[in-house]
Amino acid sequence: MLTATGLVYRVGRRTILDGVSAAFEPGQLHLIIGPNGAGKSTFVKLLARLTAPDAGRVQYGDMDAQAFSHRELALRRAVLSQAVEVAFPIPARELVMMGRYPHFTGRPSAADEAVCDEVMAFFDVTSLGGQSYATLSGGEKQRVNFARVLAQVWRPLDGTSRYLFLDEPLTFLDIRHQLGFMKKVQSFAHHPDVVVVGVVHDLNLAARFADRLVLVDDGHIAAAGRRDDVLTPAHLLKAFQVQPVMIRNPDDGGLHLIFE
Amino acid sequence: MKRNIAAIIICAAGLVSACGRFGKTTGGTADTERMVVISQQYNELIYALGAQAHLVGVDYSSTYPPEIKSVTTVGYHRALSAEGILSLKPTIVIHDNNIGPEQVMRQLAELKIPMKTFTAKDDSLDGLKALLREMGAYFHKEQRADELCAALDRDMAAALEQVKQYTTHPRVAVIHYGRASNVYLVIAGKGGTGDGAAASQMVEWAGGEQAIQGSGMQRLASPEIIAQANPDIILMTEFGYDRLGSIEQARTLPGVAQTNAARTGRIYRVSEHELTYFNPDTGRSVEQLAALIHQSQP
Amino acid sequence: MSEPRDRARGWILLTLFAAMVLVAIASIRFGAIDFSLRQMFEATIALLSGREPATLDGRIFAQLRLPRAVMCLLVGACLGVGGTLMQALFRNPIVEPGLVGTSSGAALGSALYFVLGSVLKFNAGPWALPVAACIGGVVATYLVFALSRAGETGRSSIVMLLLTGLAINALCLSGVGFLSYIARDPQARSIIFWNLGTMSGADWTSVAIVGAATLGGLALALRYAKPLNALMLGEEEAMYLGVNVARLKWAVLTINVAMVAVATAFTGVIGFVGLIVPHILRIIHGADNRYLIAGSALLGATLLSVADLVARVSLRPAELPIGIVTSIVGVPVFLWLLRKRQYVF
Repeated sequence: MLTATGLVYRVGRRTILDGVSAAFEPGQLHLIIGPNGAGKSTFVKLLARLTAPDAGRVQYGDMDAQAFSHRELALRRAVLSQAVEVAFPIPARELVMMGRYPHFTGRPSAADEAVCDEVMAFFDVTSLGGQSYATLSGGEKQRVNFARVLAQVWRPLDGTSRYLFLDEPLTFLDIRHQLGFMKKVQSFAHHPDVVVVGVVHDLNLAARFADRLVLVDDGHIAAAGRRDDVLTPAHLLKAFQVQPVMIRNPDDGGLHLIFE
Repeated sequence: MKRNIAAIIICAAGLVSACGRFGKTTGGTADTERMVVISQQYNELIYALGAQAHLVGVDYSSTYPPEIKSVTTVGYHRALSAEGILSLKPTIVIHDNNIGPEQVMRQLAELKIPMKTFTAKDDSLDGLKALLREMGAYFHKEQRADELCAALDRDMAAALEQVKQYTTHPRVAVIHYGRASNVYLVIAGKGGTGDGAAASQMVEWAGGEQAIQGSGMQRLASPEIIAQANPDIILMTEFGYDRLGSIEQARTLPGVAQTNAARTGRIYRVSEHELTYFNPDTGRSVEQLAALIHQSQP
Repeated sequence: MSEPRDRARGWILLTLFAAMVLVAIASIRFGAIDFSLRQMFEATIALLSGREPATLDGRIFAQLRLPRAVMCLLVGACLGVGGTLMQALFRNPIVEPGLVGTSSGAALGSALYFVLGSVLKFNAGPWALPVAACIGGVVATYLVFALSRAGETGRSSIVMLLLTGLAINALCLSGVGFLSYIARDPQARSIIFWNLGTMSGADWTSVAIVGAATLGGLALALRYAKPLNALMLGEEEAMYLGVNVARLKWAVLTINVAMVAVATAFTGVIGFVGLIVPHILRIIHGADNRYLIAGSALLGATLLSVADLVARVSLRPAELPIGIVTSIVGVPVFLWLLRKRQYVF
């Protein structure tokens, strides 16, 4: 379980997050939505312990996030951020292997190699393994990075959960790969010892895949909970200034938002 | 960065112009003396004394007299290497305490290579004569040394006699042009052991008057100082003069152009060798210089 | 799947090692004096058993040639590894060890020694120059690091480091320029030639000092190879992979300064090696830092020995400053390699 309590974060005189609290249970896909500048990315960075909050606390299970060393944290927590720009020639597979760095010193073990194999198959980039990363297309690079990030937390850990953070991961993907990725993330999130928290822009994807939603607006949490509790016309109007047509699919209970 | 480029160009130019001077093995008989002499002044005097028979290596700056160029060079005297010197199998290394980098001296001493410096310094005529005698004694050319000293005294006396007939004392500036654009190196000042002491002295002997005061080689920041000093005569060393090509070019240089010398066209080419330090030819040089600066305007 | 890659890497490193050994042998054999194998053998035996070699040639070999050859290997390794570390740290292929002020600081230190040493008639023995240069290099680098820590986050970003390094470099070099200007001719010449580098000052004591710095630095650098790989993805990404980026930067910079400042202190500024050695290795086999650091030690050692050989032989018995040779030798090789393979930055 991942808990955030009273998080405050300021940059200069601007307060980006103003007392944000949330709880993220394992076995579920949590998606954070909200308008630009709401503080979503900052929220995820605080949860992932990239930075420390000015006030408040993030807890991984019972332990305060600040109590872990860099390496201990890297064993259980992986972050997928925007596409990475690498200035040097490196084969895709070696990039994926970097995801296993927290798990070995010196040379990778057979287990690490196995993880790379599995994770690259999972994201359908096995054939790209020998190619230089710089020569891949934007979408291929993104998928290789998915593989790397997931390789970090692919294997279960003894007595502790694994945490995966996704900061707007769908940027370079076509629709097929967007859907494919969200399905894979969802299946990964449904492990009982995995907590997945992601930020997405597309409200329809959020509606389709999230088990829990968190709506962040103007530095605080406007709504959190199940899809139907969060994606209400009132919330959407206030946060996004839109009034979409909301269509429910009677067969599978799916919610679709149509924007005009 | 600019300094490196300049140095690279210097080295490249040196390579091209001195191709023949490297990689030779010179003279000296197997079981006798093999001298490596690293000093421009010493080498010139050695040839004057006729003691060059055992000379097997010289430094790059030793270019006078012309026949010295057939001797192997061990490199520029501030950028030597002990091994290079030793490859000529010297029995003695003679230098004037101006060797670089520093470790070379140390390395030669550690390998117990005999080294020698002469105590007299040619920073004055008396110094030059003392040096000649000291070197004469060392190389067993005492007689020749005496001859040279006597000749020097005679030439100087004759020159000074000659000078007495001139009544004017033109103001003279000695300029070494060409180090960097529009920065003139003026050889000025009197006495002391600074570079350029000889030139000032010679100008005075020749009946002229130093137009620019100061001591040693001055680096001038602007041509204004030359214009302000307004010399009647400008003596320009051959390096800069030849670069400019003609007196007409020299007259147009900023700072120079405003002087009497430029107006009257009295800019003369002189040899750096004659002016910058005292040598056995100094007496004759003074006489020539006197004639030069006192000649009527062209 | 990375097995064949590992093997290829092993072969490359082995080849580099063999090349280094060959070049080392050539560099102790040839020079202003060419030693015969027998002379070399006898002199080495004498040296190892603590005696002085019998002939002058033997002593020249033991006291001048051999330490110089070893110094070339060590300094070459320092410069090569320094280049790799800097390029990994700055995630930029056009970066040299001197970028954070080490070389220009050392140049300033040495220029101060040349000019003030003669003005104050100061003669502190043969250690004054290397100490002055080393102090200059260390102080300049520390200044760069300290000044670049300004800013809101209090951590020094890499861009700030680069910019501050540029500024301090400019400051030091203008200091050197000024000192050259006011110096008398011999000192000005010394400054010029120090800035072009020379290996001729090598003796066994300085070899010991540089050797300690090189081998120690190399061992430490290899330990940081993996975190430096992670840093390739960016500072943020590296942190997510468990790398303590602030400590990594500090450690790598310190290793770099120690190696390069010490080497430069004894040999003067030798450019280019730190820039092109990592490039060449990357063109051959990619950018994994474990391979790069080991390879750049070997290739740097080889390249510098070749350069020194050329410097000593081409104009013998005179010597070219080695900085000129490294440029002349290094650039065509680099250009040739660049054209042969598709190199994507």
